[in-house]
Amino acid sequence: MMFLKLAWLNIWRNRRRTLITVASVFFAVLLAITFRSVTDGVYENMIHNVVSYSSGYLQIHKKGYWDEQSIDNSFEADEQLSKKLLNNPKITYLMPRLETFALSSFADKTKGVMVLGIDPVSEKEVNRLNEKIIEGQYFESNNVDHILIGSGLAEQLNTKVNDTLVLIGQGYHASSAAGKFKIDGILKLGSPELNSNVIYMPLQASQYLYGAENRLTSLSIMLGKTSDLESSKRAVENTIDIEAYEVMTWKQMMPEMDQFIEADSAGHYIIIGILYFIISFGLFGTLLMMTFERNREFGILIAIGMKKRLLAYVVLLESIMISLMGCLMGVLAGILIVHLFTENPVQFSGSLREVYEDYGFEPIIYFSGHIRIFITQTLIILVLAILLALYPGFKILRLKPVDAINS
Amino acid sequence: MGKTIIDAHNVSKTYKETMVPVKALQDVHLHIEEGEFVALVGPSGSGKSTLLNMIGGLDEPTSGTVFVDGVEITKLSENKMIDFRLQNIGFVFQSFNLIPVLTSRENIGFVLQLQKVPKKDREKRVLELLREVGLEEKVNSRPGELSGGQQQRVAVARALASKPKIILADEPTANLDSKSAGNLMDIMAKLNQEEKITFLFSTHDQRVIEKARRVITLVDGKVDSDVVQTPT
Ligand SMILES: Nc1ncnc2c1ncn2[C@@H]1O[C@H](COP(=O)(O)OP(=O)(O)OP(=O)(O)O)[C@@H](O)[C@H]1O
Ligand SMILES: [Mg+2]
Repeated sequence: MMFLKLAWLNIWRNRRRTLITVASVFFAVLLAITFRSVTDGVYENMIHNVVSYSSGYLQIHKKGYWDEQSIDNSFEADEQLSKKLLNNPKITYLMPRLETFALSSFADKTKGVMVLGIDPVSEKEVNRLNEKIIEGQYFESNNVDHILIGSGLAEQLNTKVNDTLVLIGQGYHASSAAGKFKIDGILKLGSPELNSNVIYMPLQASQYLYGAENRLTSLSIMLGKTSDLESSKRAVENTIDIEAYEVMTWKQMMPEMDQFIEADSAGHYIIIGILYFIISFGLFGTLLMMTFERNREFGILIAIGMKKRLLAYVVLLESIMISLMGCLMGVLAGILIVHLFTENPVQFSGSLREVYEDYGFEPIIYFSGHIRIFITQTLIILVLAILLALYPGFKILRLKPVDAINS
Repeated sequence: MGKTIIDAHNVSKTYKETMVPVKALQDVHLHIEEGEFVALVGPSGSGKSTLLNMIGGLDEPTSGTVFVDGVEITKLSENKMIDFRLQNIGFVFQSFNLIPVLTSRENIGFVLQLQKVPKKDREKRVLELLREVGLEEKVNSRPGELSGGQQQRVAVARALASKPKIILADEPTANLDSKSAGNLMDIMAKLNQEEKITFLFSTHDQRVIEKARRVITLVDGKVDSDVVQTPT
């Protein structure tokens, strides 16, 4: 208590210097938080967008499916399982899918395509597939021989809405699959790859076509928060029979995207590192001045019986107090700013907006309000405060009281 | 014969860091008994501060031994020495003895807190000490609000706080006008009489020397004379 009080009084001996130092920590923390919040927000948004079209955050397959993606490695849909999964508050949606290949032909044109049997309702909710339609309309029911096709594919096959495509493929257990499907709508999808290769059809229609009644190749799981990935994976694994099923995260299924984010954030860490490096100098300078100008006083305190390590401890407290003050204010201001921009999102404009929209992303700067960001910055500052106090502390431990008193 | 409180044998101190080594103390013998009131005098550079620092364990002699209250302090580790000072030796320096951000009460209480004295006893003792140096009304003043003489009196009160065996004071009156100096000496003499605390103080001031009951004169790092006198 006494030392806390002493440290507190000491830091205000030079009010202006302390305030300047506190302010520098404040701005650094605020900048770092805002920066992390935006970059994390952009990543989270990107991940969310990508996984909602593709893999979901997590996917359940029959064991072995990922290595050999064939309809023969499908599994039977299980109402009970779906219910159990949806009981987990972290899980927001399930997207059952039957993913297969087929040869599509229209008139004299033929092309290999990916056929995605989907649940029209959940896809609409998760990734607003219906909004990607540029011609025609979205599925009206779940059990019709109707399809949606990517606009690139439509061009290549030279088809338009209400034309009928023929699909031929191999069904479950080598049965033959063939059928005629009416094009309900044409989609413009963000990924050019998907756009020129994909055909969506209602799940039941695809199950029927492939002779795979009630079977799925994957059950995609959407989460409320990007950061719940690993914990949710474990929760899902505890719900299912892991001998029969495999659970994969988007990171496992799309390692390139994960690596891209990792590499990109490494750059951000460097920027924040430089920021903290700069304020470290200010903080260090303040600490040095605070200790050196009190050299004589330290000598006297040692003479009256105060141990050097207690003196070093007081200086450490002073360092922590100055930096934590700036840090806590920075965190508070950071929370305010993040809150403000989450409530009133910043919209991109101009060409950046078009790029975003082309890829099917909302043209909004997302701010992540993840608590981790705030805790990390506070911890960094705390560690800095301790590290920077090491040198003055070391100086105190080596102090010769006589020299100090005579100084 | 009273009990020996300070016993220095053959104490020499040579500063070797300088271009020409300085022999600050040469074979000094010193024997002081409990309850003495001793002035250490001598020309500037004669080694008064050096000797006080050796006795207080703030610095180590180049050779020789120092006993304080029977403990060979020249053998104590640094931390043990600091603890020994906390319990047995009070220090008063020429000026700026106090922690500027703390009040008189807190400055004196600080030593007691280092000694882990419970809060209740602390409060009582602080007031008692301030009364003894005649500064009860300045309990809540910071050093900056006190005159030089008052600051020195608080410093003496702080030195007394830990109930030390001896108080070492290096030119405690050097920065004071003669009235404050006389006042401080009277307080120290009274504490010496009433509480039997041993005082060893260095000074250049003739009027301060006159208050002492024993005067040790150093010249060139050696004891030149050691006389007992009747204080005026
Ligand atoms: N740290 C040091 N390094 C080198 N020489 C020193 C050091 N401290 C003291 N001396 C020298 O030792 C001698 C004794 O110094 P000391 O300070 O003990 O004298 P003093 O009697 O207290 O003098 P004054 O009355 O001026 O305070 C002097 O010659 C001084 O220059
Ligand atoms: Mg001196």
